[in-house]
Amino acid sequence: MRVIIFSWEYPPRVVGRLAEYVSALSTQLVKNKVETNVVTYHEFLTGATKEANGVNTFRVSNPVRTHIGVLTWVLTLNQEVERVAANIYFSSHKQIDLIDVYDWHFVPAAVTLKAALDIPFVYSVESIEDQRSPAANTPYSMAIKSIEWLGFYEAKKVNVKTEAMRDDIIRVYQVPMEKIVVVNPNANSWTKELLSLYNSVSGGLKNR
Amino acid sequence: MDKRTIIVIQFGFWGLEKPVKCELSVMMLSWEFPPRVIGGISPHVFFLSKSLAQNGVKVYVVTCDFPGAPAHEVIDGVEVYRVDSYKTPSPDFATWVYLMNLNMQKEAANLAKKLPNGVDVFHAHDWLVATSGIGLKHVFRKPLLVTMHSTEVGRRDGIHTSAEKMIGETEAWLTYEAWKIICCSDYMVSHVRWAFGLPADKLAMVPNGVNPYVYTALAKEDLTAFRRRWALPEEKIVLFVGRLVYEKGIHVLVNAVSKVLEKVNAKFIIVGSGYMKEQLLTIVRSMKMEHKVLFAGFADDATLLRLQKCADVSVVPSLFEPFGIVALEAMAARSPVVVSDTGGLSEIVDHDWSGVKVYPNNPESLAWGIVKILTDDKYKDYLVENAYRKILDKYDWDRIAQRTRKIYEDVLGEYSKSFWAYRSEFPTERGPFIQGS
Repeated sequence: MRVIIFSWEYPPRVVGRLAEYVSALSTQLVKNKVETNVVTYHEFLTGATKEANGVNTFRVSNPVRTHIGVLTWVLTLNQEVERVAANIYFSSHKQIDLIDVYDWHFVPAAVTLKAALDIPFVYSVESIEDQRSPAANTPYSMAIKSIEWLGFYEAKKVNVKTEAMRDDIIRVYQVPMEKIVVVNPNANSWTKELLSLYNSVSGGLKNR
Repeated sequence: MDKRTIIVIQFGFWGLEKPVKCELSVMMLSWEFPPRVIGGISPHVFFLSKSLAQNGVKVYVVTCDFPGAPAHEVIDGVEVYRVDSYKTPSPDFATWVYLMNLNMQKEAANLAKKLPNGVDVFHAHDWLVATSGIGLKHVFRKPLLVTMHSTEVGRRDGIHTSAEKMIGETEAWLTYEAWKIICCSDYMVSHVRWAFGLPADKLAMVPNGVNPYVYTALAKEDLTAFRRRWALPEEKIVLFVGRLVYEKGIHVLVNAVSKVLEKVNAKFIIVGSGYMKEQLLTIVRSMKMEHKVLFAGFADDATLLRLQKCADVSVVPSLFEPFGIVALEAMAARSPVVVSDTGGLSEIVDHDWSGVKVYPNNPESLAWGIVKILTDDKYKDYLVENAYRKILDKYDWDRIAQRTRKIYEDVLGEYSKSFWAYRSEFPTERGPFIQGS
């Protein structure tokens, strides 16, 4: 199996707890013979690296240096994420089983890659805008919510850590319950459950 | 050569030559396309696409939706797809542009992957479709062409705010990713080279065109009654068409009004809207010239064409003008033109031959040019004749389409020797590093 993970933080760039989580996850995936490519952002450490844990990392920076907000920064950066993911695709016999995208930041790239190259994606949710800015209806929050909605709509499966999060997503975005899979990262069966989620998305056919 | 192109894909690396016969197909990305008309890009893409279709190029236009316009239609062989242009509120215009591009890119990709022969070239118009153009280039691995109609540094006369800097950098990125950049005038070629530090061989000049037949179709119509709606019979019509924004120099015309009226009885008709409207109205009111200056707002095509035919003089007082399509339209409508000697206008108009050139940002000079034409009918006829001959000769859409098609073919010839062209035929096992990452 060959996967690409999109995360806007990955060590050494640590903003919140997502970086450590994605790092632990990708290490586990490699141990389970999954070819793992992480596409992430870094201001200057750009390029492709084979990490010590066997993960291929691809760090991109934003070609547009000046921004007026998080949204313009994210939306332009997505083109670089998409470019690198396309490069991985074309260098891998055009066979990528799935993209796992963490939070809304790189949802646009996952959506356009799905449209162009038929790569399915899992939308893994750490938090949603409605929790970060409750009941906010500013244009800024609405725009982020619309990107989250697009992610839920276009994703083949949604991956959450708790049932509470699942219920929030259903409440705010009316996502069908069977589309959301709860995988508890603290359980012993964490890796196994995640792999079975990946297999259900890629069809479980392309185990290499 | 017949209407279909023969593209010889050369596998330079493998020493193979494999002729592949297929129709050249191009996907145009534009944020405006009729009936959505905001500026000059809309008519440009409309006529270019139609003329390309007549020259054997399959054209798909992907553009923003517009109330009442169908999501898909075929216009003279051009396939037009209108995509949801993002209705959710955005904090500002630039953010809307990038969000709209997300939808546009998604829909364009869904369309392109279903086409039996795919898309050979993506052709983007201005930064407003920058991110979708760049994205499509990389996911389909096809060359991206860009027409730079304007630049942020030119529009704003310098970069002053973060938003302007961001847009300028997006333009720089777009020109970096483009295989070739088309500009509509020699002035714009040198301006874009200067603004983004580009090598000369990356740029090509193809002028903008004009369609004189829309005006000849009106030749038989009696416009006396139409004219009476706009001006008194004894008044000469001075026409301005354009957005009411700083770079169009409309304030220069307003400041020239009283100077013209000292010599000639005239009516100033100002077509278009923009952020300067209130400011201009205040100036006109303070001059007590409300009866001489008419702000007509946005005019539909039928009205605009007739106004251009009725105009005794058409004025283009721009401070920054990459091309100056309104001057070309006036020349096609056989209306004499007064233009400021700047940018693309300098190339379109030859002083004392096909029009009158005046100093930019100079109301005295502009008034002098207007009065010169309005007081000398013989001189006026002479200018109009020469101007009409010039547009038939230089700004014919058919010829422009052929030049554009030649650029597509040249780019595809270069592309066929690139690793993108043969990699997709013979994928190789990945090395330690992925090229271009």
